[in-house]
Parts: sequence; C-alpha cells; structure tokens
Amino acid sequence: MSKEEQVIEGEKYDSDDRVRADHTDLLYADIPEGEPLLKIENLNVTYRTDEKVTVAVNNISFEVNKGELVSIVGPSGCGKSTVLRCISGLLQPTSGTIMIGDKVCTVPGSDRGMVFQDFALFPWRTVRKNIEFGLEIAGVPKEERRERSERYLKAMGLLEFADSRIHELSGGMKQRVGIARAMIMHPAVILMDEPFGALDAQTRNILQESLVKVLNKSSRTIIFVTHSVDEALFLSDRIIVLSKRPATIHKIFTVPGDRPRDRACPELTALRGEILAYLQSQNTMFD
Amino acid sequence: MFMKYDENNRQHRMIRSAIITILSLATFLVLWWVVTALMNDRNFPTPDKVFVALWNLLLYGDPIGGHSVWDYIAVSLTTFIKGFGLALIFALPLGLLLGYVKILREFTAPWIEIVRPIAPIAWAPIFVLSFGSQLGPALVVFIGIFFPLLTNIIFGVQRIDKNWLDASKTLGATQGQLFTKVVLPATVPYILNGIKVGLGVGWMCIVAAEIYNKFGGIGQYLVDMVNGGLMSNAFAAIIIIAVLGLMTTGVAEYVSKVVSRRMGMDA
Repeated sequence: MSKEEQVIEGEKYDSDDRVRADHTDLLYADIPEGEPLLKIENLNVTYRTDEKVTVAVNNISFEVNKGELVSIVGPSGCGKSTVLRCISGLLQPTSGTIMIGDKVCTVPGSDRGMVFQDFALFPWRTVRKNIEFGLEIAGVPKEERRERSERYLKAMGLLEFADSRIHELSGGMKQRVGIARAMIMHPAVILMDEPFGALDAQTRNILQESLVKVLNKSSRTIIFVTHSVDEALFLSDRIIVLSKRPATIHKIFTVPGDRPRDRACPELTALRGEILAYLQSQNTMFD
Repeated sequence: MFMKYDENNRQHRMIRSAIITILSLATFLVLWWVVTALMNDRNFPTPDKVFVALWNLLLYGDPIGGHSVWDYIAVSLTTFIKGFGLALIFALPLGLLLGYVKILREFTAPWIEIVRPIAPIAWAPIFVLSFGSQLGPALVVFIGIFFPLLTNIIFGVQRIDKNWLDASKTLGATQGQLFTKVVLPATVPYILNGIKVGLGVGWMCIVAAEIYNKFGGIGQYLVDMVNGGLMSNAFAAIIIIAVLGLMTTGVAEYVSKVVSRRMGMDA
C-alpha cells in the first residue's frame, strides 16, 4: 500500500478494522525539512450574489516548506482567512489547486489541522476530552490517547485543568486547548486562523512565546493568519503580504534570525516599517 | 426583629422564595373561596368542599364505583408514560434528521404546519376508535408531546455553532461521527427543553385522552364526576392532575438543569 493510500484508506489495526488518521505527517517523512510540502497554485475565490460578482482572492500561488512557519498578513477584510479556509477544505475555491506532497486536497481532512480564532472547543467535553477528540475519531485506543494527551496537557501548561470544562477557562487557556487539539494529531500542516486575535495583549505575548517553545521542541509546518505585523515578525520564517481585495500576493518577506527572537531587534524594526507602510497604502477605509 | 435579607446567602434566598410561594398559594385559595362564595353556583364549589372531597377520595376511593384513586392515577400515568415514550422515540431521530438535512426540513415543513395546529382532543375519538382504548389515549398524549419536542430539537440542531462542525471536519470526522459526536451532544439542552415543554402539554391532553377510555384514568373519573353532578369531586380530580403535572415537570426541570450544567452548557 502506498503512503498516500494510507490517509484515504486509513491504517488498519491487526485485530479490528478501525481506521486511524492521526500522524499524517509521517506520510511525508521522505520530504526533507526545508523542502516544499504544501503547494498552492492559482487560487481564485469569487463570490456570486444576485447583483454582482465579487473577486475575493485573485490568483494566489505560493509554497510552504516543511518545518516552516509562514504568516499571511494583509489589510482587514482582504481575504486572508478565505485563503486559509480553502487550504483546510472547508471552503471550495472557484479555481486553483492545493497540494500536500503530491496529493491534491479538496475536502477537509485530518492532514490539515486547524486552530480557530474563537477556539471552537466543545463545551460538553473536558479539556482532556477536547484534546483527545481527533484521536478518538481516528480510533486510537484509549490508553494511547491518554498517554498522548497527557504530554500535550503538560507542554501547554494545562495539566491542572485536565478535567475542567471549557467555560471554566480563560481565553488564553482555551486557545492552548485549541492548539493542543490540533497538534496532537500530528497533521501534515497546521492552519491557524488569527488564533490569538481574541486575546488581550499580554496573553497574546505569552501564547506566542509558548508556541515558539513548542515549535523548538517539535518541528511543525504552520500557516498562520494574523492582522498583527508584530506577531508575524516574532513567529514566522516568512511573511506573505497580501494586497487589498481582491487579494493578490504583494510580496513575500523572509524574516531574519532564529526563534526565539528579540522583539526589539533592529532588523525586525526595519521590516516592520516596510510592511506597515504597505498595509497603510492598502487601507481602503479612507478611500 | 427581622434579619436583614442577604441576596448572596443561599439560605436567605430559599426562605424568601418559600415565603413567596406560600403567600401566593394562600392568596389563590382566598381568591378562589371569595369568587365561588359570591357566585354561589353549585358547579363551582368552594375550596373547603373540594378539599373534603379530595380527602375522602384519597382515603376511601371513588364514591360511585368504589375504586381506589391510586388505580386511576396508575392508569393515567401509564397512558402518559406510553405517550411520552412514543413521542421521544419518534421525535428524537426525526428532529435531529430534519434539523440537519435542510431539504428534508423544507419538504416536511408543510406537513408539520398542517398537522401541528390540530388540537389533540380532536384526535381523541379517532384514535380510540381505530387503535383501541389501550393505545388510543396514549396516542393523544403522544400528539401533544410530539410537536413541541420535535420543533425544539429541530431548532436546537439549527442553532449548533458551525465552528464545532468545521473543527470536527478538520480533525477528520466523518458525516456519521459529526452526527454522533457533535450534533447529538450539542442538541441535548434543546432536547431537554423540548421535554419540559412537552410534559406540560402532555398533561393538558390527559383528560381529552381519557374521555373515551373504558378503563378509567383520572381524566375519565373527572368526566364521570361532572356527568354525575359531583362537582367537588371533579375539582379534586383537577387538583390531582395538576399535582401530577407539577411532579413530572419538576423532575424534568431538575434533570435538565443537572445535565446542562454537567455538559457545561447551561443557557
């Protein structure tokens, strides 16, 4: 059986026929770090209403390398999240292809994990059960789920909240659960849709730092949508800057230096100035 | 002389609501007594006569047939539980399905809108005639509970946070898993609310259900007493039905509160 078939067919256990779809990153183990893993080609999204046709995303193509964190920034409402939703398969693009390795992605799947701005956690499950959700669905046995969720609870500083309900947590804690829930699946790519957008500035900084810490321990491929240039500079290897609607790629910047970065480092300041100036020029609010 | 009322003290709140309830019931009795005494109509007995009748009914049974009142209550409860069970068995899968599949919901909406406004009492003679006096009355209760339960479940499924479904899809959930792991648990508070509303309507239907019942439930007893001119006994039956209703909705209220809290979804 080829590696590609395993995701579709699933990997079978010896004794029963349950199918598991966690650890899809192993399917691309032969792609070395730093080589292209995700390819987006000629992505177009058009919305049709009775009166008019709106072009939201206009012919966007880019690649994301394995182990890389790429941010997408752009003026408000430009279609950053639309691009991400297309990659996740939750939104069907009007045209264009999305490929992981040489597999074309059209429908949502566990090979593209997602972290949502408003967390999208299940209130009827405990923190631990939220984190284990994907494993449970993939048919991973209970003991293994336990053992794996324990590690993520620890890494995210959630151990003492393991049996709490979601409504008992602060916003920052909720998003830690959201990140753990996506990461525990070891998806090929993790998509983060303004994950810290609903948090206050201090919590945001703390979560950015813990994300860096986790990434330094365990390499992941991440696409990170944000409206904060500072956040993008602190976290990303590269930053894709989009134009105003219809979104096209203005420029792709490479961020110098390894994580963890010094937020006040002068190279970042220069880059920040350039990106902010461009975003200002694209601001449609005062047109 | 009095302690100052403290809103944050659980005991104070309980005493407060107990006092209000007792005063409310006492006022109700006084009003009842004043109105019926002024009317001086033997069809509307004063509360003292009704409570004497109720007392005798509970102690010595039915003044005409001599049956124990507990037999009547047992028959009514059985009818009620059958109707409720049937409503739950049908409304639960149907409501989840209609809430989830838009085309089915749109297709069946006219049916529901046509059948729903028909009063359960209108079905009573038809059901008893065609399904017998065992199943017939239960079906009348079923009709009463079914629609509020169904519409609550449909509403609940439509209110599900779309992000929950999206998150589950990106975690690899199949359609079936979306249904069992997200749609079903997310709808539980609405199911429980539908049950609460349905139970109230169900007891409203019990008299209608038992008018044609040969085996006699508390509803049939009520009709017999009215026909026999024993109005105090009829009112005693009304009180028994009211208490049964209060008890079932009380249990439903409690269960729904506990479950919603345990599921972290108290509205």
